[in-house]
Amino acid sequence: MRRLTMALFLALSGIASGSGPAEPEGFWTGPTNAPVPQTLSGAKVIHTQALAALLKGKTPGVVIVDVSNGPRRPDNLPASSVWLPVAHPAIPGAIWIPGAGLGDPPASVEHYFRARLAQATGHDLARPLVVYCHEKCWLSWNGAKRALQYGYRQVYWFPDGIEGWRRAGMPTSVVASEP
Amino acid sequence: MGLRTPVGLRPALAAAILFAAAHAAWAEDQDDQDRLARWKQLRTSLFPGRQVGDADGIISVEAPARALDAALVPVDLRISGNRPVRSVYLVIDDNPAPLAAHIIFGPKADPRELKLRVRVNAYTNIHAIAETPDGQLHAATRFVKAAGGCSAPAGPDDEAALADIGRMKLRLVGEFNPGKPVQAQLMIRHPNFNGMQMNQITRYFTPARFIRTIDASYEGGQVFHLDADISLSTDPVITFGFIPSGKGQMKVVAQDSSNTTFDRSFDIPGTPAG
Repeated sequence: MRRLTMALFLALSGIASGSGPAEPEGFWTGPTNAPVPQTLSGAKVIHTQALAALLKGKTPGVVIVDVSNGPRRPDNLPASSVWLPVAHPAIPGAIWIPGAGLGDPPASVEHYFRARLAQATGHDLARPLVVYCHEKCWLSWNGAKRALQYGYRQVYWFPDGIEGWRRAGMPTSVVASEP
Repeated sequence: MGLRTPVGLRPALAAAILFAAAHAAWAEDQDDQDRLARWKQLRTSLFPGRQVGDADGIISVEAPARALDAALVPVDLRISGNRPVRSVYLVIDDNPAPLAAHIIFGPKADPRELKLRVRVNAYTNIHAIAETPDGQLHAATRFVKAAGGCSAPAGPDDEAALADIGRMKLRLVGEFNPGKPVQAQLMIRHPNFNGMQMNQITRYFTPARFIRTIDASYEGGQVFHLDADISLSTDPVITFGFIPSGKGQMKVVAQDSSNTTFDRSFDIPGTPAG
């Protein structure tokens, strides 16, 4: 009981001091847009300037994955409806796989994510991998954790998201979602 | 004391602040450029081969700059009357289905003011485009800050939202005088599921089911025909003007995307304050 109280106290004081919630044990299944932890065990947390430097630097073959949600055309939307989602800005070179950061993604999405990462990294688990979505968004935390579980050893979690990237004046390019 | 900066650091701090400000301005310019590019894309997709001119005082659009509820953003379309207007398109630029409504006015309409409520998915421009009888298009614009309206659930549960579906109410806003324009407010009970809302219990997307057309006529003469898409809010409320020649009946027919038709006739002026 005492330990529980202590844990609760630590968790609450963590939120109050702005350091974010504690890391959940598994994947996060709560609301997507909510404060995120400051850390992800096993991954490196990277921020905008450091990421820009990493991408500009000599590290070869950094793979960037955007796991933010995209609007999905409703299955039964009449053909006469104009479906024209806005262009999705991404960090140049990123692969966009919506759903890969869900707490419990559909099996098809998870298979795709795993296979696409293998392909993009040339089946090299040592290749650096950057996972991001939006700021205050759990999808990238989950997505990076999933990549760690696949065995990738250099996973970077970029919690600033596309908002932080753009705010710093970094370039973006339009990307289409996969699969 | 705590806020005082050592003298030597001040220029660096000032430079950092300037740098940040320059970047913020740059980001805003980027956003403006994105919005212009989006509007260009929409213009060419929605009105292929046609010019879209300025509002030219023909039309204006009002909406709250910062919407309290992104799923219920009131939009007020105003036609000045300096040129006849055949129809109005309402476009919510950044919604995935951007064409929210097309309203065609009939001979019994008073098109000067039309209000409706829409869902808005992002910080977005809203465009109201007036079409004159000779087919010219004139666009007015307004910027709205709201986010998440497209995936906001229609209500606590889907079944409750479907109860009473199609029930309508109509009330006059203002005084009834034969031959004089008067405003009427039409309310239709309908969840207007847009297909992007997740059921909070089953975690599945509720299939789209929304009102596609509304026809209002007075004593057999058309007031308006409205084509809608998934962006109208749950339980649509439309306020429109018409010119009653005398006491009579307003007939409203609505059809949804499941091809269910709802209709009702209302006595005008009906009972006051109803």
